[in-house]
Amino acid sequence: MKLLDKMIAPLDKALERFDPVKQSEKGTGGLRDRYYDKTGVAKWREWRGVKDTMYDYCAWLNNILSMGQMVASAPLPILKGFWEYRWMGSYLGTFMFIDRLFEGYRGPELRTAHMNMHAIVQSLTKKIAFGLKNDARLGGGPDTDKIIPYDETISPLYLKGFKGLYPFPMQTLPEFIICDIDQHIEPYYIDVAESYGLAADVCSRCAAETGVAIDDAFLKVGKIMLSTNMPCNASESTSMIQRRRFGVPDFAVTLAMQHNNPEALPYSRATLEAAIAFVEEHYGVKYDWDEFFKYAKLMNEQNTIELEKWDYFKTPYSALCGIAETLYRLYEWQSVNGQEPHFNKNDRKVLKIMRESYEKKHEPFGGKTRHRAFLWGPSAVYYCDFPTWVQNCWGINIVLNMDSTMGYNMINTEDPDKAMDDLTKFTEKATMRHHAVGGWENYNAVWEWAKNFNCDMVLMNDNIACNGTLGYHALMEEQARDLGFHFIFIEHDLQDSRTISRQDMRNCVNKYMSVVLNETPLDPTLVEFDDSDAY
Amino acid sequence: MKDLKHLIYFENLLQDAQNELVEKAKADGQYALGYNCYYIPEVLLNLPGCFSSRLRAPRCTSTDVAGYYMTNRSCPYARSILERAIEGGYGYLDALLGAECCATMDRMENHFSLLNLVKNEHFFLTQIDPPMKSDKINLDYYKVQLTVKILEPLKEKLGVDTSEEALRSAVEKHNRLCRVITEIGAFRKLPNPPITGYEFHVIQLVSQVCPHDLILPYLEETLEELKTREPEEKFPFRARVVLVGSEVDDPEFTKLIESCGAMVVADRYCFGSFPSREEIEIREGETAFDAICRTYLHWNQCARFMDGVKIDQRHDEVERLVKDFGAQGIIYENMKFCEFWSYEKILASNIFINERNIPTCTIEKEYALGAVGQLRTRFQAFIESLEIKQIQGGK
Amino acid sequence: MKKFLKLFLKILGKVLLIGLIGFVATFTLYITNGENKLIYYVIRPFLNKHYDSQVRDRKI
Repeated sequence: MKLLDKMIAPLDKALERFDPVKQSEKGTGGLRDRYYDKTGVAKWREWRGVKDTMYDYCAWLNNILSMGQMVASAPLPILKGFWEYRWMGSYLGTFMFIDRLFEGYRGPELRTAHMNMHAIVQSLTKKIAFGLKNDARLGGGPDTDKIIPYDETISPLYLKGFKGLYPFPMQTLPEFIICDIDQHIEPYYIDVAESYGLAADVCSRCAAETGVAIDDAFLKVGKIMLSTNMPCNASESTSMIQRRRFGVPDFAVTLAMQHNNPEALPYSRATLEAAIAFVEEHYGVKYDWDEFFKYAKLMNEQNTIELEKWDYFKTPYSALCGIAETLYRLYEWQSVNGQEPHFNKNDRKVLKIMRESYEKKHEPFGGKTRHRAFLWGPSAVYYCDFPTWVQNCWGINIVLNMDSTMGYNMINTEDPDKAMDDLTKFTEKATMRHHAVGGWENYNAVWEWAKNFNCDMVLMNDNIACNGTLGYHALMEEQARDLGFHFIFIEHDLQDSRTISRQDMRNCVNKYMSVVLNETPLDPTLVEFDDSDAY
Repeated sequence: MKDLKHLIYFENLLQDAQNELVEKAKADGQYALGYNCYYIPEVLLNLPGCFSSRLRAPRCTSTDVAGYYMTNRSCPYARSILERAIEGGYGYLDALLGAECCATMDRMENHFSLLNLVKNEHFFLTQIDPPMKSDKINLDYYKVQLTVKILEPLKEKLGVDTSEEALRSAVEKHNRLCRVITEIGAFRKLPNPPITGYEFHVIQLVSQVCPHDLILPYLEETLEELKTREPEEKFPFRARVVLVGSEVDDPEFTKLIESCGAMVVADRYCFGSFPSREEIEIREGETAFDAICRTYLHWNQCARFMDGVKIDQRHDEVERLVKDFGAQGIIYENMKFCEFWSYEKILASNIFINERNIPTCTIEKEYALGAVGQLRTRFQAFIESLEIKQIQGGK
Repeated sequence: MKKFLKLFLKILGKVLLIGLIGFVATFTLYITNGENKLIYYVIRPFLNKHYDSQVRDRKI
């Protein structure tokens, strides 16, 4: 490799002037220069040096291959899906999404980022193909009645005890993932919901789900629906509208909100057991603990690796950071949840790179990190590639996202009784729930997390329609002052980028960094730009 | 109609959370137990030596300080309660028995302890984790919550008698109050009732914010008065409506609807009598506590219930009220920023208009009634449409 | 043996040529961001036009 490095060094040197990171260092340009105004369409792809550009190119080819496989596995349903569902069209923005997520990434952090992203692409393309192939609206398939539709905020691991059945997260394809890829898709569904009288001040994510239901844009699969009270009030409410549209028997998996209290466990456990009985009754399939244990082992391995990753996150030498960490962990926990062995394989590979980078004392992003930040932020941070932007513009490295701290307890893989308790604790602490419900102590825990990960900054999502966050607004600011953290509320309207634009979100950081901290940007081209028409 | 003897007295009692009767009960050495939501059984707060006080923030027109803590984008009811608490308006409380029934309510109640808003050596805050379904699993959880978060702290911290005997006695007194209110409310079923929706709203509210022992004699006297009260010669309203939704603890809101021409004949909202004034029946072999939990879970009509049984029940219950009280339409209201009722409003209005053929109007409101011009226009238009429908024979 | 080697080199040459053409084509598409331009300016507007003309079964 060293020989290869020597061989390409002159070429690298010659082409360095095209590298936007180098341009910003020299003051001759920056990352934003290669875009057409507003659209987010790049004139050309980022030049990252010969090796990293080739790596990025190969990752791009690899993702194309996965998409090709998806189409080849179910050509007609995929085509029909594109024609039927507006949200399917938005998946064409995936390449642009990946490009903007990994801007400025080089070396090991680029590798881990692409490895993680490719795992997601593989998983998602299979999910899309499987869903459309079995969508009764498009003619159905062999597994239509073997699918267990569930609300995406339920962790699906416990459903893997049903051999021959396929848990399927209903909102993930039309709403959750796609809102990250295309900021313009959910406003359409939000408008549909509001045209039916839904107030504009409710959480836009749930409004979008409601719009998908009203617009009849959910896949039609399975015999039942497992809804849930997770994670918040609006989510509970939209389930009540969705259940009418699904039109199948539904079971609300209502887990304890105050999940730290001792009386919560028996209740949540009984609810999960009742949900299992409900599935057994409607599908005629008996719960198989040995089958469940197979997947619980995979989940345990995922969590074991995650905990080791956390040790590296605490140092300045983590090759996995920013969006590559937050988005991957969110998807891997919430959607994969031990169901897909290729994620374990990927985790092992990524961990290997992290170990090597740590030994080499490799600092990501050329060692330009100025602040280490703990992030508490949902979807809006993905569609505006927020973690990538804060690093490139201001040198703020997102070390960990609060959502990444979801259920990391190990699950017993031998005794069903103990496993059920572990599984309940695990499920109770799902996305946006581990810390957002159950009272002040859970919420206030963010400072302890930030301290443990050696962060000097906390970036806090401020969804203008999230009652949970709004209710603690001033207390959080007071806590930050008392505990000596740099603290920025990032105002956004989650899936409705019309209310608060990406630039408005970025301005929350710009103002703090320039006015309060009196710092100058690493890349001035990123401070203010218009990407309102971008996906 | 001739004025009700105690109406002005009742109206005055509603001007402050710490009203004359609350002060009297406190002076008698009783513990004041605050609560915000029907999930907290009022009867448990009326055990010997205690009285319940459902929190309102009358005359709260500005929520500047609470807005700082919770932003101005959160529920104005919760914000107003917090504002009043910061002003020291609930200094008489010995405990706040709260519920994490919605995120805003949870956050607002948290501030009571985090900001130490009640300067009272006894004061404590507990919050139950309220169930969202009505099956046995959830009933059992409700029982556990009420035991751990209400009965045990009351006994341990305030020395309240929570024995079966004490509970039975509380149920008995509670039922007596419920009977009186239900009987008063039943007058609204008459074609030309001797009571207005506004008057009933005032009566129902005083029964929730005053110590039961002290308010009951006035209510009983009012009931007797109503039995002989002469109604107007002709029914003075153009229509009859059921009011459904979230917190309505300002009788002026009912007055606003009635001033537009529709009598509010049934009150199915938080602070209303449906539910809240259902008697508790202790079945054979059942403990008083079990009967309380069963009754409250059964009658609870909160929009946060997620199971099909409860969703259907809350729509059936509204339809029952429409029929029983001879209403021609329904007004669904929700407090601004209330997610539960915003969703329920569109779901229910769709069901009532398209599936049950009952005219329904939906509105969104602030906690404090300020500029009501828009609301008045909405109500007038709705009432006119009800009239037209009546003229056309219901078509 | 010589014949086999010749055939092998011929096939290898063809594979390399195809590989090279493939690489040049895909790398050009990659570096010019061609597929995203096509999607953004041609395919999505076409699809959006179709979606906007759909009559959907909207109801609660």
